[in-house]
Amino acid sequence: MEDPPSANGKTNSYAEFMQAVYRTVDRPVTWFREKVVVSNRPDHVYYHQKFRRVPTIDECYTDDLVCRFEAQQQFNRDKLVDSEIVQLVRQRYKECLISEQPDHTRKCAKLMADFQQVSENFCMKYSDLGPLNNVKDAYMKQKHRMLWERRHGKVGTGMKDQDAL
Amino acid sequence: MAAFSLLRAFASKVNLPKNAINQGILVLRSNPNNALQVVRQMSEHRTMHIKPSRWSWNRFKDFMHFYIMLGAIPAALVITYVNLFIGPARLAEIPEGYVPEAHEYFPHPITRWMAKHINKSYQQEYELMCHHIYEVEYEQKLRKAEHRIKQKMAEKQDTQAYYYQPVTSRNERSIRVNTETDIEMSGTN
Repeated sequence: MEDPPSANGKTNSYAEFMQAVYRTVDRPVTWFREKVVVSNRPDHVYYHQKFRRVPTIDECYTDDLVCRFEAQQQFNRDKLVDSEIVQLVRQRYKECLISEQPDHTRKCAKLMADFQQVSENFCMKYSDLGPLNNVKDAYMKQKHRMLWERRHGKVGTGMKDQDAL
Repeated sequence: MAAFSLLRAFASKVNLPKNAINQGILVLRSNPNNALQVVRQMSEHRTMHIKPSRWSWNRFKDFMHFYIMLGAIPAALVITYVNLFIGPARLAEIPEGYVPEAHEYFPHPITRWMAKHINKSYQQEYELMCHHIYEVEYEQKLRKAEHRIKQKMAEKQDTQAYYYQPVTSRNERSIRVNTETDIEMSGTN
C-alpha cells in the first residue's frame, strides 16, 4: 500500500527508492492485466438469489409434511442469513476495538451493545436445539420461552414460585 | 524379408554357442594350430544378471505419467485459461421482470458451466423432494386408514369384508396355457 501524501511536501528518499523498486515489478504486471487480460474477457454478471417466503411452521397443518419440509428449508436459509448478519456485526465491533485500542470501552460502546443485542436474539432463536436443527424444535422452544416469561417475567430476572401461572 | 527368415533358419543350425545351450551339442572351434578343437560349453561369458525386480518402480513411473500428463497438466492449462481469459463474473442487480437461470447465480465460469450442464439446480432438487414427500405421505395416510378400518372391523365384527380374500386366477390360466403348449410341442413321456 502506498503511503498517504505528506503534509509539508518533504519526501523521504529512502521511501521513494523503495517505492520505485516496487513499481518496477508492479507497473508491467498491472499494465498487462489491465490492457491484455481484462480487456479480452467477456463481461458477464451474476445475481444474488432471492427466495419467496413460504408459510412458516406455525401456519402449517400438523399432518402436512410438504408444508413442514418447505418451512424447514426456509428456516435453514434464514439461519444462514442470520449467521451472516451476526458475523458482520461482530466484525464491525472487532475492527472498532482494534483501531480504537486504548479508548475502546468508550468509543465502541454502541457497537458492543448492538453486538450483544444481535447475538442474544440469534441465540434466542437458534441455540440449544442440539446438533440436528429442526424447525419444530425451534417453534417449541419459542412456545416454552413464552410460557416461562408468562409465569416468571422476562428471562434473566429469576424464577418466581414454581407453580405460579 | 524372405532373406531374414533364411538367415534365421541358417543361424539356428550353424555351430554357434548359443545354439549349443538349447540343443546340447558340442561346438567345434578352430585353433591357430590348424586343428579343430572340441570345446564343451559348460558356461557362457554371458550370464543372467541377477537383480531385484524393477516392476514396482516401472509401475510407479507409469502411474506418475498417467496422472500428471493426463490429469494435472490438462487441468492446470484449462484452469489457467479460464481464469485469465474468461474470468469471474461481477455482481449485478436482477433486472425488473427477469428470472435468472440457475447457473447465473454463480461467479466463477467453471462453476457456472457445471451448474448449467452437470448439476441439478436448487429449485429442481427442492421440487423433486417435495413431490417425493407428497407421494410418501399419501401412501402413509392410506396405510393408516387401512389400519383403522381393519381395527374397526375387528371391533364391531359386523362386516364380511374382513373375511373376504380376493383371488385372481390369472396365474392358473397362464400355467394351463403353457402346459398345453408344452405337451403339444414335446408330448408326454
